[in-house]
Amino acid sequence: MTTHVAAFRLPVRITGFMPLIALVTLVAALTVADADFLTQRSLTAALRTAAPLIVLAAGATLVVLCGGIDLSIAALASLSTVLLALWLPDLGALATPAVIAVAATIGAVQGLAHVLLRIPSFIVTLGGLSILSAVALVVSGAGTVRVVDDSTVKWLDLYLGGYLPMSAVMAFVVVAVIAVVLTVTPLKSWISATGYSESAARLAGTPVDLVKVGAFCVSGACAGFAAVMLVSRQFSGGPTMADNLLLPAVAAIVVGGTAITGGHGSVWRSLAGALVVTLLRVGLPIVGVPSAYEQILYGVIIVVAVALTLDGSKVSIIK
Amino acid sequence: MTLTSAVATAPRRQSRRGASFRDAGPPVALVVIFGIFAALSPQFRSVDNVQNIVDAAAVLAVVTSGITFVLMMGSIDLSAAGVMGASALTVSLLVANNRNDNDYGLLGIGAAVLLGCAFGCLSGLALVLLKVPSFMATLGVSAIGLGVATLMFAGVQPNITDTMLESWAIERFLGFSYLAWIAAACILVGWLIQRYTRLGRYAFAIGGAEEVLTLSGVRVKPYKVAVFTLAGAFYGLGGVMVTSQLGAGLVQAGDGYDFSAITAAVVGGTLLTGGRGGILHSAVGVLLVMVLTNGLVQVGVSPYWQGGVEGLIVVAAVAAAVIPQRRRNQVVK
Repeated sequence: MTTHVAAFRLPVRITGFMPLIALVTLVAALTVADADFLTQRSLTAALRTAAPLIVLAAGATLVVLCGGIDLSIAALASLSTVLLALWLPDLGALATPAVIAVAATIGAVQGLAHVLLRIPSFIVTLGGLSILSAVALVVSGAGTVRVVDDSTVKWLDLYLGGYLPMSAVMAFVVVAVIAVVLTVTPLKSWISATGYSESAARLAGTPVDLVKVGAFCVSGACAGFAAVMLVSRQFSGGPTMADNLLLPAVAAIVVGGTAITGGHGSVWRSLAGALVVTLLRVGLPIVGVPSAYEQILYGVIIVVAVALTLDGSKVSIIK
Repeated sequence: MTLTSAVATAPRRQSRRGASFRDAGPPVALVVIFGIFAALSPQFRSVDNVQNIVDAAAVLAVVTSGITFVLMMGSIDLSAAGVMGASALTVSLLVANNRNDNDYGLLGIGAAVLLGCAFGCLSGLALVLLKVPSFMATLGVSAIGLGVATLMFAGVQPNITDTMLESWAIERFLGFSYLAWIAAACILVGWLIQRYTRLGRYAFAIGGAEEVLTLSGVRVKPYKVAVFTLAGAFYGLGGVMVTSQLGAGLVQAGDGYDFSAITAAVVGGTLLTGGRGGILHSAVGVLLVMVLTNGLVQVGVSPYWQGGVEGLIVVAAVAAAVIPQRRRNQVVK
């Protein structure tokens, strides 16, 4: 799909490969900086760190493809870790699907608010961020909720064949499932149409509102699943546990090359973007940069990546 | 003061039917909500508590004054938290403190405000030169600000010993803290800028009809950058005021202020689509938010709900503002 767009504009063609080029360059640079980097151990650790980020970014990518943004993913994931930790003793194995279902419902409610009340998506999800954080604080009593019996979520923290972290495999599966479902159904063209030109899509009979609500729903579900991964790793849930994943997730999406203006991009790109962001994060200390620069780096790459991938022809006035 | 001015400006918009009624909404809501809480809780209606509300509203009022100009243009600014963090650390390291021998007093405060200007300018330049939508540009700048603050924090909390800056939060004049008076001065300055300078009038015009303004030969880009820079100055001062309250420079000085300020501005009647509202609307909005959050705590609601209440009212206020135009704008991103 990207090729016919790329044929017309050179910059797009370059940005199409940007995440892969960045990924290869980063791995090469880190290997040069530290010969120990390209070992099974550190790569496994990097993949394990990347897993929740990949899932979060993949879900939110769908919303961005529709031309919106979901700023509530991290807060929703935090709330989900609290709910999971609270529900595990009573529900056991059922707690995981229950949390994902609740997160999906919350996502769908935000989507409905966006579509029905005609409120811009960033303000709905910014409001959602605030509300969900408050709920998480109240439900958890503003403290960490320990998980005593983690037997039902421990599988996510195991290693497949002794090497591959299960969470990374599941993150890959989530991305693959979303990608396949989009390709074999008309959903992909619906989402792209909504993102490229909402009014045209509407006139052509695309169920724009439904597509948007669906995107928010998937985004919520992914936040829920990312929360399960976090709980399986940290043996606890916390009201702010995933909050610092918002910027990396947004960075992953835009670094992957998904245009913030909508339509152009894919979940695979966000997978690559999430790996780039994770490598930057683990790479900074390796090359001797204090981790305080991490935030500055996120800020800069968000602005630069958005500027590079933006479809400038589409919007005459940028607010 | 705010009430009478809001009414006084209303006749200027007589051409828009119902405009004056809409302008009167937030002040009426403020009086009603104040009345309800005063009836429910004896502590709420005490003089001490009213002083508390005004003092607590000071920082939010300054931040909201800044963000109002950005919202009037139809843009959005999420950078307040980062800019305030950076300016809080800057001022605490430049006035007398326990980390170094600096004692620049007012100069240090000026430097922190200038740093805020620089961050705002950065957001504006990213918007007009790189064409990055403002919510993304300011999200990035906020992260940069937090990073800069973390670098300056360097693991050791700078406690301020500057008597002047400390006195801002403690000393009182006519019953209110100096911070409250500074906030009132900021609102006055903001109102003068909005009413009497080209910058303020163009900010309105950019929000109302940017295309028309461009076609009539106005170069809007410099004004956009200038508005973001002005907003940055207010956030910088906000960071200084938080430092005065806490007695120390913290990276998290501006936590939550970005969203609270948007809430206050929107509740006061400034539309996110731009072109409507203003500083005085926002001042009423700030008091509304503060009365609501203070009142809820006084009647026994957990303070943890504060963010949730703000989230609900911002969504409700935006939805209410959009309803009259539902048919007109088909596309909402």
